[in-house]
Amino acid sequence: MPSRAANTAIPAVQTTGLGKRFGRQWALAHCDLEVQPGEVLLLAGANGSGKTTLLRLIAGLYKPTQGSMSIYGMDPEQEKLACRRTLTLVGHDNYLYSQLSALEMLQVWTRLRGVELSEEQAIDLLREVDLQDRRDYPVGGFSAGMRKRLTLLRTRLEEPKLVLLDEPFSALDASGQNLIEEWIEGYRSAGKTVVLASHNLPRSSKLCDRAILLQQGQMLWQGTGADLLNHVGATA
Amino acid sequence: MSLFRQALTVVRKDLLLEWRGKGRLISVLLFGVVTLLLFSFAVGPDSTLMRAAAGGFLVLALLLSSTLGLSESFRVEQEQRAIEGLLLLPVDPIALYYGKTLSNTLFLMLLAPVLTPVALILYSVQLDLQGLAVLLGLWTLAAAGLSAPGTLYAAMTSRLQSQDVLLPLLLFPLVIPVLMGAVKSITLILTGDPMSQVSAWATLLASFAIIYSSLCGLLFPHAIEEGI
Repeated sequence: MPSRAANTAIPAVQTTGLGKRFGRQWALAHCDLEVQPGEVLLLAGANGSGKTTLLRLIAGLYKPTQGSMSIYGMDPEQEKLACRRTLTLVGHDNYLYSQLSALEMLQVWTRLRGVELSEEQAIDLLREVDLQDRRDYPVGGFSAGMRKRLTLLRTRLEEPKLVLLDEPFSALDASGQNLIEEWIEGYRSAGKTVVLASHNLPRSSKLCDRAILLQQGQMLWQGTGADLLNHVGATA
Repeated sequence: MSLFRQALTVVRKDLLLEWRGKGRLISVLLFGVVTLLLFSFAVGPDSTLMRAAAGGFLVLALLLSSTLGLSESFRVEQEQRAIEGLLLLPVDPIALYYGKTLSNTLFLMLLAPVLTPVALILYSVQLDLQGLAVLLGLWTLAAAGLSAPGTLYAAMTSRLQSQDVLLPLLLFPLVIPVLMGAVKSITLILTGDPMSQVSAWATLLASFAIIYSSLCGLLFPHAIEEGI
């Protein structure tokens, strides 16, 4: 659970009446949310409930149709680059170039962050996701799970304060899922904030401090991870 | 990190991708050569007419090849939403634009060493080394003038299924001044320039390249951020 000291700090994420409309369809509406630094928040809900939209709004990939938002007290519209230095999002897509190797992908990402990654450092990072032997292979030949592992390494580069994960367990085998669990626990210990959207409720509800259930773009319910399982079980 | 270093990282990445997937360069080059060949058949054996039209045909080959190259440069970005991965980093979108524009310009410049000799042979044009150097300079300016708006429009249309139709529709009207400047100046180089008009046309080409890259650089962040 986040500490008392963390609770008095500037919220990691604060949204007021946040909404996003695509055409006539509201993907997310009237979302009032406050995520404290160091908190692990789970977004649950059926497909199309607005989880991904909320994560993409927080990441600054979508402009809100209504409402406002702050990331560690910063306005994402005014301080876009500062916000992007603070957060990282791993979404459904892998953000990879098929013809580049795993090593080259890491180097592109780190160089654009303004950091020069030595080959040894890159190999150490790849070792974390068990891809060190594949470092020189084009990522186009990787399996879906290997691509996911490589993309998840983005959360280890520059150690952002806010980690946004959209279905982090998908495409991963049991060892990969355990690794992500370890990472999320590590982020919590380090005082980082994690917002994750997942359909894997048994696994993700154990990890979170708080869970929010979304339905058709509205926040329907919130409580602890254990309560979420009971709530979902009761309403199923 | 400076805008310049970020742009250079994008250029480096694009050149590496180009090197790994040589298919794009080869297919665009073949397309350009076939275009020149077809135009030479269309004009017929009249060597005077061929020489007079050579500049226009070379620029047409460049223009048609550029749309292929430009749309492909953003297809790799959309393949696994890699562009989104770049935008999630603390990267100035303006650096992305200048990086992509520079790599597209370099790509179009690579067409010159192949298309120019083919055109000189097919259209029976004699050119000394100095003329060749000036022609390559004009080609570079024309490539920059096409890449600047082309990169913006390729980014805007990259997620649309109708990109192949939309990109030329949007791009061609905008680059008419560049095409005029390129055709006139290259034709003067190929047929002779007794009034020394080439420098004026080259200035026009350079001006459009600067104007387009400045304006499109400002518009690119708005085009890309909601378009991804």
